[in-house]
Amino acid sequence: MPTQRADSEKPAGDPVSSFFAGLAETGHVATFEGQSATVRLDVASRDEVERWHLTVSRGDVDVTREDRPADAIIRTDRPQAEAMVTGRLNAQAAILRGALACEGKMAAVVMFQRCLPGPPDSTGHATPISGETVMARIKAAQRRPA
Amino acid sequence: MSGSTVQILEGNTFVVSDERGDIAASSTDPTGLFSFDTRFLSRWELTVNGDRLTVLSTDDLQYFQARFFLVPGTSTVYVNSTLTVIRQREVADGFHEQLTVLNHAGEPADLRIRLDASSDFADLFEVKDALKKAGQYETRVTGGCLVLSYRRETYVRETWISSTVPAEIDDNGLSFRVTIPPHGEWMTELDVVARVGAAEGTPGSQTGIPGQRRVRRNMARGLQKWLERAPDLQCDWEPLEQIYRRCLTDLAALRFSTLTMPDRSLPAAGLPWFMTIFGRDSIFTSLQALPFTSELAANTLRALAERQGTRIDDFRDEDPGRILHEMRYGELTAFEERPHSPYYGSADATPLFVVLLDEYERWTGDTALVRDLEHAARAALRWIDQYADLQGNGYVAYQRRNAETGLENQCWKDSWDSISYRSGDLPGFPRATCELQGYAYDAKVRAARLARQIWHDDAFADRLESEAANLKRRFNRDFWVQDGGYFAVALDIDGRQVDSLTSNNGHLLWSGIVDKSKARQVVRHLLGPRLFSGWGVRTLAEGEARYNPIGYHVGAVWPFDNSIIAWGLRRYGFKEEAACIVAGILEAAEVFAGRLPEAFGGYPRSLTRYPVEYPTACSPQAWSAGAPLLLLRAALGLEPQGDHLIVDPALPKRIGHLELLDLPGRWKRVDAFGRGRIDTDRRTSR
Repeated sequence: MPTQRADSEKPAGDPVSSFFAGLAETGHVATFEGQSATVRLDVASRDEVERWHLTVSRGDVDVTREDRPADAIIRTDRPQAEAMVTGRLNAQAAILRGALACEGKMAAVVMFQRCLPGPPDSTGHATPISGETVMARIKAAQRRPA
Repeated sequence: MSGSTVQILEGNTFVVSDERGDIAASSTDPTGLFSFDTRFLSRWELTVNGDRLTVLSTDDLQYFQARFFLVPGTSTVYVNSTLTVIRQREVADGFHEQLTVLNHAGEPADLRIRLDASSDFADLFEVKDALKKAGQYETRVTGGCLVLSYRRETYVRETWISSTVPAEIDDNGLSFRVTIPPHGEWMTELDVVARVGAAEGTPGSQTGIPGQRRVRRNMARGLQKWLERAPDLQCDWEPLEQIYRRCLTDLAALRFSTLTMPDRSLPAAGLPWFMTIFGRDSIFTSLQALPFTSELAANTLRALAERQGTRIDDFRDEDPGRILHEMRYGELTAFEERPHSPYYGSADATPLFVVLLDEYERWTGDTALVRDLEHAARAALRWIDQYADLQGNGYVAYQRRNAETGLENQCWKDSWDSISYRSGDLPGFPRATCELQGYAYDAKVRAARLARQIWHDDAFADRLESEAANLKRRFNRDFWVQDGGYFAVALDIDGRQVDSLTSNNGHLLWSGIVDKSKARQVVRHLLGPRLFSGWGVRTLAEGEARYNPIGYHVGAVWPFDNSIIAWGLRRYGFKEEAACIVAGILEAAEVFAGRLPEAFGGYPRSLTRYPVEYPTACSPQAWSAGAPLLLLRAALGLEPQGDHLIVDPALPKRIGHLELLDLPGRWKRVDAFGRGRIDTDRRTSR
């Protein structure tokens, strides 16, 4: 049983592969110019483990599928990995509740988290609230029995 | 926190107990062993032969250590006791307790010593809001340990309790049957370890959270070194020496390390409930402490940059470039019932991050950090322009996108009624409060200096300077309350002035956004009868509809606020007025035995004689502990200029002669001297 899949064999439309391919294509992430770290994502599915190894060197980004040591290793399964790279799973909260495992340096884990996209349904906008609405809410809250 | 509770802590682990050392938590009594924002022990009660104990004395040996002298029985009989019980407790990854029982009688003593233990594993937020738990509890005995456990799906938190003397262990605690010889003693050590983990068979079970189990530091030596490294203060007015020492010790206690930087410490916001990184509080405390220690600033900058926002996340109010507001590790955060992983809902932390970076370099000359954080600073500046202009008028404004659990007011005055018109009505959202514009202006001016001198990007510097000048011009036009002679606290969504008179005007002086021609009018208000109580500047002026001398942000006096105001007064050359604030707040600190509360009542000084403490949950509070340090800076007029430190004292008479020796900075070490010459009594006796 192979423990790695060659890039050419990965299923079309695989969000995990696309995510890492996107990072590799970028080649340089300005956000991490002050940082250098390596992170490995181990994704278990049935009997195999797929691995992506990310190197950040003062902002320069490199991705390989090789099984290399890293400053931090994040272990997860397919559904969670896909949810994570598409912004549907917040990695920090998942780590806190024990749903995602990581070992090594937390700083490298946090760096990886910051590469991930935000939730797909986040818009960045809130509907303005008028002063009248604010005052009406306060009056309603004051009328409500404690 | 009531006076009878004892708190000891290390990092984000702390114990709140009664004066006997017992923990008996209830919804109204928030005692316990807390770590990572979770309560790991809610019951820890010692009995001897079935009797609770009575306290003779309690010593807070250090901030991480306490000792309790006890006798069995109730207070009516203890004088007859022939037993003494000593508990000595030290906080680490949980706590360590040495339990000693002395028999003073000529007869042997047969005793059943019992510790009842249990835990509700409440999230700190639940302790404050009394919420119901969603997971299951389990208790087991493993290898001589009592293990209290809580599980919710993959989330597991455990408390492991063990003793050096073998105990009879049951689900509710540990018992020891002992016979102590005449004039003899018995001792055991108890270890309580807080474990953060994951359910077996889940991915997280192999590891937990990296960095959670830290090596126990030599804490006593750490505190000693911290005090020794601080500049030496000598002064004719003795209380100031006590205040200074108290500040340093409290700031030492408030240091904690993040999981990403286990070897570096930064200031948490307050003890015990806010032992975590808060963008705003950590930045302000670092600014206050800069003349005395630059380490807090460097670590705060690094820690905040490490978690700077990179994406749009409405639940967390995150945007690219935004600096976080608050970070938490408890169950509600883990299950995304609260957004603190981290939460970004603060509109001031981002510009203040840039302000701190520049101020830090002015003191230390550490250009390497400024280069390392160039991208972070640029991203912060981009946030100001691209994400904070919610009113579409070029001003920084805030409105939460997380309407359920996000923060409504994302400025330092974050209570619901803090921003009001004179009439008492509250404005809608988004709100553009005035001090945010000051911070944004200052961030641009300071970043321009960094761009020119360190990043070598003149074009960027030019752009920032012109944006800052433009902002200042518009601000002085749009926020100036013509018939009042001060700056409105905010602009509402219709561009209308939220026209109450507030202490925010002092922050505007600090930021430098105030036109010189308007400064005198602003200062007249700050030291005038509506704002100045005699102890300090009130958050909201007397005469405004919502003014209340014991209202949190609507009349109370905040030492932190006043320290920034004093700095602002010095910036505009109002030395005597700054000295009045210095005198008022330091004299209040004297009344509070050196430890300033978060806030105190805004009553006129002549009315109450003593400042009336505002009842808050946290003490010490980091930016209250930092306030006297910044006041000292304002009093001595300490200002870095190139490789030199300018000293331009303007001290209240009462202080007399003041020496601050070995001030660290790019000049290596410098001494500052001053003599009190300013008569502040006329104003502070108000």
